[in-house]
Amino acid sequence: MKGIMQTSAGSIAEWQTADRPDPGPTVPDPGLAVCVRGLAKHYVHPWTLRVTRGLEALDLDVRRGEVMGLLGPNGAGKSTTLKLLTGLLKPTHGQAWLMGEPAESTASRRSLGFLPEQPYFYDYLNGLEYLELAAQLSGMQAGTARERARHWLGRVGLGERPRLGLRKYSKGMLQRLGLAAALVHDPELLILDEPMSGLDPFGRRDVRELITEQRERGVTVLFSSHILPDVEMLCDRVAIMIGGRLTRVATVGELVEDGAQAVEIRCAPGALLELPKHWVGLVSRTQRADESVFRLEDEAQLADVLGWLLQAGVQVRAVTPQRPTLETLFLAAAEAERERRSA
Amino acid sequence: MIPLLIARNTFREATRDRVLAGVVVAGLALLALTQAASSLAMGEGRRFTVDLGLSGISVLGLLVILLTGTSLVAKEVERRTIYNLLSRPITRPAYLVGKWIGFSATLWSVALLLGLALWGLVVLRGWGGQGLAVLEAVYLVGLELSVITALAVMFSALSTPVLSALYTLGFYVVGQWSNDLRMLAERLPKELGMLLGTVANLVPNLPLFNMRTLAAEGHSTTWLHLGLASGYAAVYVACVLCLATAAFESKDFK
Repeated sequence: MKGIMQTSAGSIAEWQTADRPDPGPTVPDPGLAVCVRGLAKHYVHPWTLRVTRGLEALDLDVRRGEVMGLLGPNGAGKSTTLKLLTGLLKPTHGQAWLMGEPAESTASRRSLGFLPEQPYFYDYLNGLEYLELAAQLSGMQAGTARERARHWLGRVGLGERPRLGLRKYSKGMLQRLGLAAALVHDPELLILDEPMSGLDPFGRRDVRELITEQRERGVTVLFSSHILPDVEMLCDRVAIMIGGRLTRVATVGELVEDGAQAVEIRCAPGALLELPKHWVGLVSRTQRADESVFRLEDEAQLADVLGWLLQAGVQVRAVTPQRPTLETLFLAAAEAERERRSA
Repeated sequence: MIPLLIARNTFREATRDRVLAGVVVAGLALLALTQAASSLAMGEGRRFTVDLGLSGISVLGLLVILLTGTSLVAKEVERRTIYNLLSRPITRPAYLVGKWIGFSATLWSVALLLGLALWGLVVLRGWGGQGLAVLEAVYLVGLELSVITALAVMFSALSTPVLSALYTLGFYVVGQWSNDLRMLAERLPKELGMLLGTVANLVPNLPLFNMRTLAAEGHSTTWLHLGLASGYAAVYVACVLCLATAAFESKDFK
């Protein structure tokens, strides 16, 4: 059958045979907050039977108390992963566990707080009513739910007008309310899909503070984001997803150290020196009004270049290592994956 | 506990919707209209008032179901508000049952409000003997609306609001004719008769909930009829919600 029903995104036969068998009902490590084994999600068009692969054989572990960022371009499978974990999507293959409970069971969602991407709410409720409902649906008694709702409404800066109808909320206010709803029942695991989206710089700072505060409480946080500086600032580890596949899991430090270490040497302005020919392409020079800047693509040349400059009598003002940003690494990973696929 | 929380929220949503207020006002206006027109009914004012009043409650209830009930679940999926519910420790059957309870409670409230208005009118006009019959008929209308709501919830969980409204209306219309379909099935060739008979048995037996003519004539019904109608409604609703749950359980929310 394989090869007969070829489609643009794959075939039914491939879909049935390519993935590994389900790992079974036993959680591999109950100590993990999130444990994913061979998780895949394929969509079959009801009429054309075309198979679209949303997520391919994902293995992922998130340790308790850790903050992990899911990074990837649009269509990378980040939201699909988060929806599979929260039970909104049913997996085609594989299994996931949240706090030791199978993700498809309601028990796994008792200690879960989830913020969907661009959250929508009941516009006939007000903020307080909504948070009360959210708390009660997560198992809190009415009295405690009301108390927690008031607390969290205030905590996200919406406490001044608790009876304001949600239809009058701005996008940023709705995002804050969504966060409050995810946190109102004191979850042990937070899954946030693009928590910074739609927020101004103040809102983003507040969300960062909230995530940091939750980490200090020992809460595990798994979130997806496009805003790389926030990921760099918050995450213990980063998972990079591209085209429905996990391409890398590492700490931000590890990712950054993997890149070539460029170095910048800033010197006082002086006579124009001609760079030796064997450094062309490895060392570049920028002449500014008040200084000359030499950029070394690899720090291995640093001693030679410095020696050469000092010998020529140039006054060196600063030597600064240029670490690649997460953005640079992310874009490079995306490019590498694209090349791998086209090959 | 969880279905009741969902039910309370559904009730709150429906009662804060302007459609419901409009329907209640329309129902009260209809009752007022029966009084203005009863003088033209040539001595049949009592029959006219009760029959039209009870029919009005039933039709207005159906209108609320078609306008609001048929998008009960579909709207939540479309607006993605369902993400905030199903990512909590809530089973999908509990969600659907909660939706049905909440919306049924809304319709019972409307039926009760308009029914009490009709009963008050009957008593005020000195037709007190018909009071019990009116209340029984309102109870049966409530059961009928609960059954239709279950169908609306099922179609809404599986389809778009427009299609779900069409399916619900279709079941309502065919359900009103279910007795006639059964009689017709007996006269048709065997295979066709069996097919028609099956259709008549699958759609709700709505004539069971109709005692409008009886009430208009001032006659009460029996406890057996009320018990049978209640039992039938309970079984039918349970079957429909089980079907809805089975289909909804595997649904993906993209």
